[in-house]
Amino acid sequence: MSQAEEVILRGLPISKGIGIGSPVFFFNADDEIPEISIAKKEVEKEVQRYRRALFLSRQDVEGLQKMSLNEGPPEIVAILGTHLEMLQDPLITTVIEDKIRQLQRNTESIVHHLIEEYKLKFSTLQDHYFQERVRDLIDVSRRILGHLRPLDKVKWVDIPHHSVILAHELVPSETIEASSTQVSAFVTSAGGITSHAAIIARAKGIPYVANVDIKLLKRIEMQSMIVDGSQGLVIMNPQRSTLKKYQEIKKGHLEKFRLISHSSHLRGETVDGFEVRLFANLENPKEVDSLVKNGAEGVGLFRSEYLFLSKKMFPSEEEQFQIYRRMAKNLKGRPLVIRIFDIGGDKKIDVLPDSPDAWYFQTIGTEANPALGCRAIRFLLRYPNLLHSQLRAILRASVFGEVQILVPMVSDISELRIVREKTREIREELEKEGIETAPISIGCMIEVPSSAIICDALVQESDFVSIGTNDLVQYVLAADRSNPAVSDLYFATHPSILRLIHMIVTSANRFCKPVIVCGESAADPMMVPVLLGLGIREFSVSARHIPLVKHTIRKWRILEACRLAEQALEYTVAHDLRQFLSAATDAIV
Amino acid sequence: MKLVHKVKVKNALGLHTRPAAAIVKLLQLRKSSVLFTYKDETINARSIMSILMLAAKKNSLITVTVEGDDAELTMANIVRAFDEEFGEK
Repeated sequence: MSQAEEVILRGLPISKGIGIGSPVFFFNADDEIPEISIAKKEVEKEVQRYRRALFLSRQDVEGLQKMSLNEGPPEIVAILGTHLEMLQDPLITTVIEDKIRQLQRNTESIVHHLIEEYKLKFSTLQDHYFQERVRDLIDVSRRILGHLRPLDKVKWVDIPHHSVILAHELVPSETIEASSTQVSAFVTSAGGITSHAAIIARAKGIPYVANVDIKLLKRIEMQSMIVDGSQGLVIMNPQRSTLKKYQEIKKGHLEKFRLISHSSHLRGETVDGFEVRLFANLENPKEVDSLVKNGAEGVGLFRSEYLFLSKKMFPSEEEQFQIYRRMAKNLKGRPLVIRIFDIGGDKKIDVLPDSPDAWYFQTIGTEANPALGCRAIRFLLRYPNLLHSQLRAILRASVFGEVQILVPMVSDISELRIVREKTREIREELEKEGIETAPISIGCMIEVPSSAIICDALVQESDFVSIGTNDLVQYVLAADRSNPAVSDLYFATHPSILRLIHMIVTSANRFCKPVIVCGESAADPMMVPVLLGLGIREFSVSARHIPLVKHTIRKWRILEACRLAEQALEYTVAHDLRQFLSAATDAIV
Repeated sequence: MKLVHKVKVKNALGLHTRPAAAIVKLLQLRKSSVLFTYKDETINARSIMSILMLAAKKNSLITVTVEGDDAELTMANIVRAFDEEFGEK
């Protein structure tokens, strides 16, 4: 076969990087929606079908949001928050239901018409802000349509690795669900630098070029293509020399990336040899092995509620014991910090109403203010049987490794005391039964402002403390970052947060108690040097971030970090502090 | 009780998402039904997306219709929110 001609198109560079792969065209099925009349007696059934699709869509978005809260960049969480809001908007709920009843037509056509009406309305407005809302609405409606017609849904699993996705337009959720191993790059006709899909592509490091005529591309026969997201170039059927050139550039990028991942095998220490310990946050017990490979010194935060969430019911003492024992054994003496169930309140649980464990949540009912509600240790103290069986399982596993207990959401010392007392009682109980236990450290999670403020007393009664920055920031600033109306008030680097951390470290140091930071700040290259300078010596981050954190730490000298922290503490305005930190941490490469 | 009142959009960016969200939020505390009419179009003011759909820019005049037991208070709240430019002044 003769070599097809190389064609170069120029577009708008949106997300940097080089992507090489084979083209995959995405079609938007919106245009071929059938219009079907519905018999009057079937109308309520149709409404029910719509409600179900809405419910499933909401579940999708909540699931994605939960996933992104732990892993993803904050922008994604905020975008998904907007989508959730839209799914609850009367326009989507009651208006569509009323129209189904009134027009007696199939839901798909009604949703489709509404979107078209919306599009038309905004097509005349040049305001990009409105355009973005329309894209979000299209996204949300596509998700609903996907649940109404499951066959039309794009299934990411079917897409081969190294695909370049070509579409008229990308919607945020498609971008969120795409993985960088499958998708080498995105190319679209529409879409701007500030579109949500663009933000997400950048956050995921997937190259993206927009303003390219996709219809034209469809007419070109091609096997492979190169997307240069830095220059905004799309190259079809690249000549061997072009391909070679781009492979070189890509190799350069990878080299830098490898440099970062390589540091996972190096010691976690500063340039001047000051040692820092890096632990991994863990949800799935099966991932213990991979985190050791990533260079973790143990598990700094095992979110034990995962055991509940994955089964949608509480695991028995025996089940828990088996899991904790296996984890402790696999860690071979490295620490395993088990955070006892952090469930309830705003940590929404989708337990089916007929599940035997639904009762625990039903008796609490709907809380007007779940973020300040019955969650974590509060929930466990309300249901002592759950606490009892979990502590028993942990104590039984304690002889198989270095197991520690972490108490979440502590807002008063009494809560910590109860857990300590219970642990002592259970130990005696087990001894009477002839079951061996090992000494166990009990740590306190500092994520509620009250516990940060009384930390001088709290550290005396804890064996260690763990700062959960995500919740601490949200409670201190009284801003929910998943709420788009206030997410710009959410500063992980707010002066108040730095001061609180400083206070906690000072108290802990006085009583020689270790402080570990978990939460997103611990993996933020802008925050890590400050935390280091404030005296944090232990970080717990998700396993995939360990190489990055190590890489960051290895660039700093401890004295420089201390000076940075000192300077940072003098700032009083969140915005100024963030600018200072971003400039100061960027300068060191 | 039914009240009808005209209000002016004073904030620079018009009724974009933030003001729309502010309106929906303040109405969550009220029971009355609230409709906005702008350029022959009437929408439910409890829907952020419907408010956006009006695409009302600065200086647009919106007719607010409130009906219900707490109509007076609801109307007062809405008028104030528009007057204070939804805190964007």
